[in-house]
Amino acid sequence: MRAEDCVLWGFAALFILIPLASFLVYGFFFVVDNSVVYRPTLANFAEILSNDSYRTTFFKTLRMALEVSAINLVLGYATAYFIWLRPPAWRNFLVIALAVPLLMSYIIKIYAMRGVLGTNGLLNSVLLALGIVDEPVSALLFNLTAVRITLSVVLLPFMVLPIYISLERIPNSVLNAAADLGAGELQTFARVILPLSLPGGIVGAMFTFVLASGDFLAPELVGGIEGFTYGRLIFSQFGLAFNWPLGAALSILLMIVALAVIYMARRLGNPRWQR
Amino acid sequence: MANHETGGLAPNQDLPLLRIRGLGVRFGTFNAINPLDLDVRDGEFLTILGPSGSGKTTLLRAIAGFQTPSEGGIEFDGRDIAEMPINRRPFNTVFQDYALFPHMTVRENVSFGLRVRGTGRKRLNDRVDSALGIVGLEELGARYPSQLSGGQQQRTALARAMICEPRMILLDEPLAALDAALRRQMQNFLKSVQRQSGITFLFVTHDQSEATTMSDRICVMRSGSIEQIGTPRDLYYRPKSKFVASFFGASNIIEPCEIIDVRNDVTSVRTPVGTFAVAGPAPEGGSGLALAVRPEAFGIGNGKPANQIELTVVSVSFIGSETITELKHRNTSLEFKMKARSDPAAIPPAPGSVLTVGFDPAECALVSGDTG
Ligand SMILES: Nc1ncnc2c1ncn2[C@@H]1O[C@H](COP(=O)(O)OP(=O)(O)O)[C@@H](O)[C@H]1O
Ligand SMILES: [Mg+2]
Repeated sequence: MRAEDCVLWGFAALFILIPLASFLVYGFFFVVDNSVVYRPTLANFAEILSNDSYRTTFFKTLRMALEVSAINLVLGYATAYFIWLRPPAWRNFLVIALAVPLLMSYIIKIYAMRGVLGTNGLLNSVLLALGIVDEPVSALLFNLTAVRITLSVVLLPFMVLPIYISLERIPNSVLNAAADLGAGELQTFARVILPLSLPGGIVGAMFTFVLASGDFLAPELVGGIEGFTYGRLIFSQFGLAFNWPLGAALSILLMIVALAVIYMARRLGNPRWQR
Repeated sequence: MANHETGGLAPNQDLPLLRIRGLGVRFGTFNAINPLDLDVRDGEFLTILGPSGSGKTTLLRAIAGFQTPSEGGIEFDGRDIAEMPINRRPFNTVFQDYALFPHMTVRENVSFGLRVRGTGRKRLNDRVDSALGIVGLEELGARYPSQLSGGQQQRTALARAMICEPRMILLDEPLAALDAALRRQMQNFLKSVQRQSGITFLFVTHDQSEATTMSDRICVMRSGSIEQIGTPRDLYYRPKSKFVASFFGASNIIEPCEIIDVRNDVTSVRTPVGTFAVAGPAPEGGSGLALAVRPEAFGIGNGKPANQIELTVVSVSFIGSETITELKHRNTSLEFKMKARSDPAAIPPAPGSVLTVGFDPAECALVSGDTG
């Protein structure tokens, strides 16, 4: 291994792997009378897998994350495609406009969404103004749909950017070649543009899924009781229940799912022709 | 080679396959193509030759439809195609960067034109097999472009452009990215494919020798205008302008020239370095004339050549098969270059010595000077 590699791995170990491991290792301990007993056990995992409400929350959350990814794949692709079709000067502006929210505080964005979705919120005003509803709808907030909407909006840049980058990378001459060989606009899109930009979509879906499945702030602030997700379950073990070992064990399960998704996305998002 | 002498005339000479009239392209206020006329004959290999920035790519893009012309008309086979969408134009392009579809195998790339037309499987496979056979890629059909060498990508791009059996193929500097040896090989290959298929090739290059070896006719471009069109021989032996003369290697330019006599197809001109005879009639509208002489037309000695100049040797460089002598005229300080076959027995002249250099009236040309 070269010297630079050693340094890099050293930093990674020092600042990421060691803190992470020293936390995750709690998953193999247990709690008696509010204090941690440092003796290895698999009891936490056995409890999680046998507990119906943990399992339901787990699968409900994964399903919600999958739905958010699917919605965002469509929304994100449309947005990225729209930006890509603008003249070059516009494109850069739009991409930056899209990236700016990423620099904003996460909690502020979620409060903003809470404002949008509330009874006096923007969405209700629009629905009222359009005459779609007669009086403000309270069903937009404090349920799982509110979580879906909030996460979709907040995570959209993570979908748009990788798709936009893969669209940007398609050489103009390749599109010209498709037209030159007789393909109309629809065929060029279906046979050339879509397959060439789909790897970006897969990466974006991966980001969205992993971030949505682990999130606890959005469900906490806009989810209400229906929006109790796995992230909140984990959080409650550290806060309310004060059961770090169970919280760590729950985290380990989620991490395994996340790693599996990342691995799959790497395979799918890096097709044979790219290697 | 006979091809070159006749200009490779196709049977239907009076009806060009591609007819360009007054075609101009402007970018803002900049004229990338000044309104120009060009005829491409059916079955010929026509090369657009010119230095970088002369508008070759823009002209080709306008023909292919990637660039909307500011004015003028394009007719293909008697039909006006100026407004026709790219995907309906009845010819295909080989791009400089090949522009292969990276997510498709060689086979899928080549078959693309047939697939978008919904060609049946059996017919498609036969056509692709035969196209891959022509370009010698039968074995590599399952590879992706990223797994191909430059030459193989080039062949794939050619097969892809040929698959729909177009009557004309446009090629924009297709060999520019290849190394010298492969380039020569691909030149021969392209030329033979063109000859065997009978497809009209409209080829773009900035390389004079490439244009000369491959083309039936060459169209020399300069600053968005056509400088001269003709067979390689025409351009080599009868350049019309200083620009074409230097582009084709007649680098000794003697000017100003004044015509003093025209008799029996021989024109006599007076120049600052002497009076010379030039074969052929005087060019028309001859203002600002110059005499262009190829370096290899010069010979030492007092033999037969009718034209002679006394020149001082500046330097002699031996470059293997040839020896290049840099010379200078004593009074005018005009510079000359002489290229001759190296002679093992000869003693190279010392710098500063004076030589009598001669050239044949048939080996020089009267050309117009710079017009703009
Ligand atoms: N899209 C464009 N916008 C502005 N100027 C252009 C554009 N395309 C080409 N040009 C200009 O037109 C001239 C001819 O370019 P080009 O046709 O590419 O030349 P060549 O292919 O002979 O090198 C160049 O000066 C170039 O800068
Ligand atoms: Mg060019």
